[in-house]
Amino acid sequence: MQFVLSWPVRLFVVAVLAFSLFVDGAGYIYRIANHYSLSGNVPGLPPNFGGWQLYIHKGLDLAGGTHIDYQLTNFPPGQSRADVQQRTIQVINKRVNALNVSEPEIRGGGANNDRITVDLAGVTADQAQKAIGAVSKLVYTKWVPDSNVTNGPEPGYKPALVGLEGSDITSATASIDQTGVSWVVNVNFTSAGGTTFANLTRDNVAACPGDPNTVATANCPQRHLAIWLDLTQKDIDNWENAAYVSAVSSTYNPGCLAAQTASTVCGKFLTDPITLQEIDGGQATISGSFTQASATDLATGINSGSLPVDLVVLDVTQVSSTLGAQSVKLSLAAGLLGLSIVVLFMIIYYRVPGLLASIALLFYAAAVLAVFKVVPVTLTLAGITGFILSVGMAVDANVLIFERFKEEVRAGRTIAAAVDAAVRRAWPAIRDSNTSTFMTCVILGFVGPSQVKGFAITLGIGVVASLISSIVVTHNLLAIVMINSSLRRPSLLGVDRTRSV
Amino acid sequence: MEGVREPRVRKLNIIGQRNIFFAISLLIIIPGIVSMATRGFLLGIDFAGGTEFTVSFAQNPSLTQVSNAVAAENDNGSVIQTGNGGYILRYPPLTPALQKQVEDDLQTRLGTANFSQVLEVGGTIAGETIEFALLAVVLAAAAILFLLAIRFRNVPGGWRAGFQFGGSALFALLHDVFLLTGVFSIIGKVLNLRIGEIDSLFVTAVLTVVGFSVHDTIVVFDRIRENLRVSQRLSFEQVVNLSIMQTAARSIITSFTVVLVLAAILIAGGTTLKGFALALLIGIVSGTYSSIFNASPLLVVWRRLQPLR
Repeated sequence: MQFVLSWPVRLFVVAVLAFSLFVDGAGYIYRIANHYSLSGNVPGLPPNFGGWQLYIHKGLDLAGGTHIDYQLTNFPPGQSRADVQQRTIQVINKRVNALNVSEPEIRGGGANNDRITVDLAGVTADQAQKAIGAVSKLVYTKWVPDSNVTNGPEPGYKPALVGLEGSDITSATASIDQTGVSWVVNVNFTSAGGTTFANLTRDNVAACPGDPNTVATANCPQRHLAIWLDLTQKDIDNWENAAYVSAVSSTYNPGCLAAQTASTVCGKFLTDPITLQEIDGGQATISGSFTQASATDLATGINSGSLPVDLVVLDVTQVSSTLGAQSVKLSLAAGLLGLSIVVLFMIIYYRVPGLLASIALLFYAAAVLAVFKVVPVTLTLAGITGFILSVGMAVDANVLIFERFKEEVRAGRTIAAAVDAAVRRAWPAIRDSNTSTFMTCVILGFVGPSQVKGFAITLGIGVVASLISSIVVTHNLLAIVMINSSLRRPSLLGVDRTRSV
Repeated sequence: MEGVREPRVRKLNIIGQRNIFFAISLLIIIPGIVSMATRGFLLGIDFAGGTEFTVSFAQNPSLTQVSNAVAAENDNGSVIQTGNGGYILRYPPLTPALQKQVEDDLQTRLGTANFSQVLEVGGTIAGETIEFALLAVVLAAAAILFLLAIRFRNVPGGWRAGFQFGGSALFALLHDVFLLTGVFSIIGKVLNLRIGEIDSLFVTAVLTVVGFSVHDTIVVFDRIRENLRVSQRLSFEQVVNLSIMQTAARSIITSFTVVLVLAAILIAGGTTLKGFALALLIGIVSGTYSSIFNASPLLVVWRRLQPLR
């Protein structure tokens, strides 16, 4: 135990304390230094150190927002479930982007790759489900001449539906091509779709024969096949309206499509590639000046019109941001109240050692909060309760040490020897008590639903931190202070009498 | 210089008056068990599934008005009034479209509404929550039996004595579990208070309490074991009594600090987790009580019935 009192350990404790205070307080120091208010949004915050952001990650019940669990049903045979799940996640991601949520979280799960969890801060369940549930229909069109068309991707031509649509596509992926430099999008068709596509490409080449790399052929619209989402015959009928066409021909906008009314015109365009040659293998490659981002975007767009699975809602949690803010305030109040009561009790009952334990407790609280910011741990209401509970339990280790300390002093030891014996003798009991709590946390953390997990994680972190704080910090404080003989009066220590040497 | 003194402890005859303490426990547990058997529990939507709206209305309608509006929807809704002028409306699981419909319908009938919280749990997830609860309980029970077996394998008196120690500890645990579940059954179904709702956090509270309580009991029993080894002239009863006296202070103070923070949460925290905090509070108090006043007297009674040594 003497090792704990050595200067490397003390230096380490001071370093941890300094780091914790820095992590906890950096935001507030910045605010004060720049004369900003102490709460609310402020430019330049949260503190950002080369991409490593420091702030308390709030769960939905503190930040307000919506959580939805989806079940994926009707998986098509012959496709890898993990693949389908991944594509669905990308599609949902794109649909959710239109809502402008900060830090949306979309995760896959389920033993059979059949679950997707969506966490969106700041939106209602209704908004979220409208955006995600929007089913898009992908259609291919060819171009037919129409001299009244003045706008759009091919002036002088309007699109015509060809009967090739989303259900004929199995998947689209973005990949890097043989040169290793540019990105392309690969589209895979079903067998029926592949046949239709082969016919279309053959007609394309026939309508505009020649080398597609020459300017003349490249500018021949009948050599192109365009891909749209949710393009209807009604849109095609309005193709001679210049304003209408330019709106429809803008890039497909999922946000607009989810919220559209009878009078809005949303962008529905995906791409309009030229057919290089007849393609009859059931797989087409769209190349152009794609970057990884734009290729992935196009692939996701194509996928969203051909999603092979159905999404079933399993559960929904929606918390308004006012309730969230209120919960934050109340949790803070409860935490401070709890901490103060405990500190008061410790000082009254154990006097000087109690004061030292309270200091150790503050160190403990600062360190744990810093851990929450750094890891990061997403705090929920249950998580905060776990933290507050662990503060109460952290006192336990100190109580064990002090009770032993009193016993050792009564038994006639010197103060220094009593401190040492107290920590040594109390350690097995401290270790065991925290073991059974820690064991419960592990079980709950692995088996429990997310709310329970949050509680288990914060309580578990708290238990470990309290072990360290009591053995290292309280011990050191006790040893350092007790060297000062003026504090060795029995009344200050809460014992009846002490040895005079 | 003073010589070595025996720790000055107050002498209370806990073992001698054990029947009083057994009676107090039974007084609380028996009504709880009766309530559990006859009325069951007030299940939250975590386990029962359903949709729950927490709503406050700008025009402050009365409970009757809200109940009438909900009944008129024909969706099997029920209404509870919360403390601060809001209402909690409970329905069976609704699809997203129906949820929106209910929200709009309520606003049409009762004026502008602020939905501070909407929770919907479908049957699949409810089933999974029940599975979690059972699995967690089984795992925790196994872990605790393991813990007890390890701690009491070397008790003076052989394995039969170890069985007595472990068994008494187990009974003290069961006391805590039945007390907590019984009390919540009464609060939820007899007093019809929403704070008595059983959800996944309640299961968490029970398991946390059990973890806490088993440790308390082990601390007392460890002391008994230690004292049995050194004092050959005291009777078993006297040893147990002495051990309790020596460890009681620490047990009570530890639980006291945890109770203090839980009380702070109950008072100052929001309504969302009041049930959780209350369950932990009752559980921790019960756990300490059982370690001091039930586990050790049980051990004494058992030793009387089956003398060893």
